Amino acid sequence: MSSLLDIKDLHAGIPDKPIINGLSLSINPGEVHAIMGPNGSGKSTLSYVLSGKEGYEVNGGEMVFDGQELAQMSPEARAIAGLFLAFQYPLEIPGVTNMTFLKTSLNAIRRGRGEDEMDAASFLRLAREKSRALGMDDDMLRRQLNVGFSGGEKKRNEILQMAILEPKLAILDETDSGLDIDALKTVAEGVNALRSPEHGMLVITHYQRLLDFIKPDVVHVMAKGQIVKSGGPELALELEKSGYAEYVGGAETASEGSPAHA
Amino acid sequence: MLDAQSHFEQIRDTLPGDGQARAATLAAAEAVGLPTRRVESWHYTDLARLLKSGEATGVRTVDFAGVKALEAHFENGLLHGEPQAEGLSVAPFSNTIAHTEAPSPDTVMASYNHALAQNGLTAEVSGTLAQPLVIRTSGTQPVHLAHKISLAAGAKAVLVDDHMATGYANVVFDIHLGEGAELTLLRSQQAGHQVGLSRVTLEQDARYKSVAMISGGTLARHEAHVTLKAAQAHAELHSAVLGHGLSKAATHADFTYVIEHQAADTSSNTSAYNVLDGNARGVFQGKIIVRPDAQRVDAQMQTRAMMLSEGAEMDAKPELEIYADDVVCAHGSAIGELDRDALFFLRSRGLDEATARQLLVAAFLEQVTTHIDDEGLSEIMRQLVDTKINTLLGNLSGEVSS
Ligand SMILES: Nc1ncnc2c1ncn2[C@@H]1O[C@H](COP(=O)(O)OP(=O)(O)OP(=O)(O)O)[C@@H](O)[C@H]1O
Ligand SMILES: [Mg+2]
Repeated sequence: MSSLLDIKDLHAGIPDKPIINGLSLSINPGEVHAIMGPNGSGKSTLSYVLSGKEGYEVNGGEMVFDGQELAQMSPEARAIAGLFLAFQYPLEIPGVTNMTFLKTSLNAIRRGRGEDEMDAASFLRLAREKSRALGMDDDMLRRQLNVGFSGGEKKRNEILQMAILEPKLAILDETDSGLDIDALKTVAEGVNALRSPEHGMLVITHYQRLLDFIKPDVVHVMAKGQIVKSGGPELALELEKSGYAEYVGGAETASEGSPAHA
Repeated sequence: MLDAQSHFEQIRDTLPGDGQARAATLAAAEAVGLPTRRVESWHYTDLARLLKSGEATGVRTVDFAGVKALEAHFENGLLHGEPQAEGLSVAPFSNTIAHTEAPSPDTVMASYNHALAQNGLTAEVSGTLAQPLVIRTSGTQPVHLAHKISLAAGAKAVLVDDHMATGYANVVFDIHLGEGAELTLLRSQQAGHQVGLSRVTLEQDARYKSVAMISGGTLARHEAHVTLKAAQAHAELHSAVLGHGLSKAATHADFTYVIEHQAADTSSNTSAYNVLDGNARGVFQGKIIVRPDAQRVDAQMQTRAMMLSEGAEMDAKPELEIYADDVVCAHGSAIGELDRDALFFLRSRGLDEATARQLLVAAFLEQVTTHIDDEGLSEIMRQLVDTKINTLLGNLSGEVSS
């Protein structure tokens, strides 16, 4: 079986600052992988490099998504190819309604794939159905994009975008942070609804709790820009107990005696 | 620019009113001359230079013909059609505003207008106008218009100033809002050189809202003097500039306001949104005056600019002159570029770069359009913004053109 995402010995960062240092990771269709790791270990950077954010450069290695090398592709081409990033810190964009934005996005992707655009009525139905499933008020579709949304509502809105775009690979960057228990369950249900033999996920999280709801196939520990350990769901439980001291290595960190994820 | 004296000789016979008085006013104005940059209120707008060098062109992108509206159309100063509706009475133009003071450099443009005003709409609204009243200005000749709009107590109207004249225009609005009257003035300038002045007075409980959109033409100077005379009067002034063009063809848009709170419990809210590409220049000068005893005044002023090119310029100068102690006055100003993170976010959702930029610019200006309550009119404004962004800024380069 060919992988959905195949990262090999990736070196990347911002100019003059390597952040990802020889990272390898492979996700097969249908799999959910979780990445855990201390603050600053490069998790968000990895998600940005994968989705093509300006300012980040790739200095070596490969990242092949669904048979295509990503490095030279524009962010929109990656989205059209089926990559999706749920942002750790969703932005507010005043002046554009959530609904208009969602529709513009879906149709841009459909056009990019050579498909017909969705008409207004069908889109409205789809948006309502998906937002209700996520426990969102219809009102939130009419409001300006993320403006005045609570932290949790913004995260739900990221998942709504995912639900509508149905990406082949979704990267969720700390989508669970800031969610209350009920919201966490709803968001997890949204994520699980997208699971299928074709879809893959990369879930970045600090908390085992989310992984109770979204059972990952593989858990990775990331430190200093590398995957330093991979294992099954039990690895997340272990980390919850013992922290990252073992992985960050430096005697310095260990001697501070505080768990790195605190 | 026009030679005022010979322009006067040319049109003298067609002008209503006292020719002698006009000649005297013109002589007094000429003695002062066009304001220069040494005059504080004109510091950022070098009028003589702009009128000499700017190309007063423009492309008509949308019009208001589609809306059901009453219309007064001034073509090269001539009025076509007279709007008729219940609650509206229109009087023939006369040039009667007392203008006895000798002009100063600050007021000289009003004196030119008074000397040369060919025409204008003189309207009194006594009820609620069922349809917007559109003043359309077109033509290629230099024109001086003086409009007098008065709303009786409790009257309501929506006025549209649709400016498409490609030449020089000096336009004065004198607006009086009686007790509890409500006026929305929607202004669109798509062409030309316009020097505009509005003098607005509000009685108790009156509400004034002006929403201006400058999307074409090379000079737009909009000066407004708003006086809130009695309790609960509320004024809102919102402006949007979609500035573009290189060197002589670049937009120069200047909004200069003096908002005077004479009475307690009055409020005002001002916002200015400027999108500036190419060598466009945006100017915002807003002065809020709160007179002694005008307690519990709430006055807010916001300036925002989105700079799309290094060759563009924005000057924002808010001023507060407050003589009462129990007031809430705030002004803020933010000048920045297109938000790179927002651009990335939109692209990560499949929008190509050009579409993402257009969406962000439109979203920025939507914050002005959103103040237009009339749905038909706000839709026209959105169309205008979208079309302009598409055609003029379709290749929003963001590239240096200084
Ligand atoms: N644009 C940038 N400019 C400067 N430093 C950066 C930039 N992007 C990332 N870094 C640095 O790279 C390192 C990795 O950051 P990153 O955000 O990827 O960490 P993370 O693993 O997502 O952390 P967290 O768990 O706190 O979200 C940090 O030291 C961060 O300060
Ligand atoms: Mg992060």
